[in-house]
Amino acid sequence: MNRVVVTGIGVVSPIGSTREEFWSGLVEARSGIGPIKNIPTERLAARIAAQVLDFNPAQHFDPKRENLLDRFSQFAVVAARAAVQDAQLTLTEEMALLAATIVGNGAGGQNTVDDSYYKFYGQNAPRVHPLTIPRWMINAAASQVSMDLGLKGPTYVISSACASGTHAIGQAFQLVRTGQSPVALAGGTEACLTVGTFKCWEALRVLSPDTCRPFSKTRSGLVLGEGAAMVVLETREHAMARGAPIYAEISGFGMTADAGDIIAVDPDGAARAMRAALIDAKVNPDDIDYVNAHGTGTALNDKAETLALRKAFGASAERLAVSSSKGVLGHSLGAAGALEFAATALALRHQTIPPTANFEEADPDCDLDYVPNAARNAPLQNAMSSSFAFGGLNAVLVLGRA
Amino acid sequence: MSDQQAATAKPAALIDDVRSIIAKSLNISVDQLTPETHLDELGAESLDVIEIVFALEEKFDITIPLKADEATRLATADKNSGQDLPFSTVGDVAEIVEKLVAAKTSKAAQ
Repeated sequence: MNRVVVTGIGVVSPIGSTREEFWSGLVEARSGIGPIKNIPTERLAARIAAQVLDFNPAQHFDPKRENLLDRFSQFAVVAARAAVQDAQLTLTEEMALLAATIVGNGAGGQNTVDDSYYKFYGQNAPRVHPLTIPRWMINAAASQVSMDLGLKGPTYVISSACASGTHAIGQAFQLVRTGQSPVALAGGTEACLTVGTFKCWEALRVLSPDTCRPFSKTRSGLVLGEGAAMVVLETREHAMARGAPIYAEISGFGMTADAGDIIAVDPDGAARAMRAALIDAKVNPDDIDYVNAHGTGTALNDKAETLALRKAFGASAERLAVSSSKGVLGHSLGAAGALEFAATALALRHQTIPPTANFEEADPDCDLDYVPNAARNAPLQNAMSSSFAFGGLNAVLVLGRA
Repeated sequence: MSDQQAATAKPAALIDDVRSIIAKSLNISVDQLTPETHLDELGAESLDVIEIVFALEEKFDITIPLKADEATRLATADKNSGQDLPFSTVGDVAEIVEKLVAAKTSKAAQ
């Protein structure tokens, strides 16, 4: 079995789309949540989101190519290019034939489908744009990344709602670990901040009217976000041989299903995924110094996740530093796990724990160390990044210091 | 008007509509529902409550300020007192619907 390392990180995020801006935003708890700017809000109850406001597709794509890509694929391609550049990776044709592209996504090309349906149903247009399907299809993100970078090995999209990004990186990890692919581009992308999407989330009654405050007693729900993160994974041997920068090593991956409620997190299913990841990584609960939590900021998730951490870590939970990045990044669904994986890898690299932003007041139901509002320097050997999706699908990765 | 008078004055149609919406959503007989019946005793989970609330909103053209994961109370639904209202029994639900319908009517009359 190969050891697998992270050698490149690329992001498109509400707090900036360079690795440096992304990391400094997380460390400074600079929230990317703000008033919705890109769509009409008159008919929306919650009018905030974590949007990527400075993304200009024309900077990245010529007009003909831009026309083929929905925003969610544009994000994935831009993040993947940045990751490859960051890794200083040049692929031989032999490697490219085996290189994997695994992308997590929840909702597909929502901007495209929202526009098309509005024209057809709302404006009685007789037809929709001829490229609606190739832009909209949920696998487009992986296809577009593979086309853009010439990656010709295992390529597909994983859709497990809020766990998609984590499942995608986990699957890519396994492909590189077993030797099926020498290198993989993996991550997640989401761009579904349309009026239609907001109405559907509003109907589920989980959106916060003001901001996202994970684990705080005053938390009031989740805030939708958008963005993408892609990482380069390769064998440690290959990275060392070419003198590549190494952010972290991926040591374990665990996944479970609750087989229970369609929206409520089951502490038992989540804890089993954490335990599975620890066992896969061959580390003890005591060896984990930091957990980048799912922490959505809903009353139910944060309480259930706290219980899950206690179940999985036992007495070691007391010494654990736990933080959620969603106060800064919002909840970007299929991209969330990948952005948070990037945050976790950077935490190991910088030996710094990014804080839980917008934390106001301790909750007796959430009684762990959530690193409120201020980053903390700490020696970090091992860290965990977890995602728990609607539908009871759980995915957890364990990372080690490079 | 005291609460008791309000309850007496409650139009029979409203409570009947509320009962039938709850019964239909939970797939049970209307006869099983008294004002004292607790929704969770009937096996209502958070998604059932969201569907019930949606049906009530559609029926009465009101907005019920309920969060999915706090489905047993309504955050400051009573704007007069600023108090959270319980949302546990069939009677609680009927009372909230009645308040919101009344608020809508008085707003329309202004």
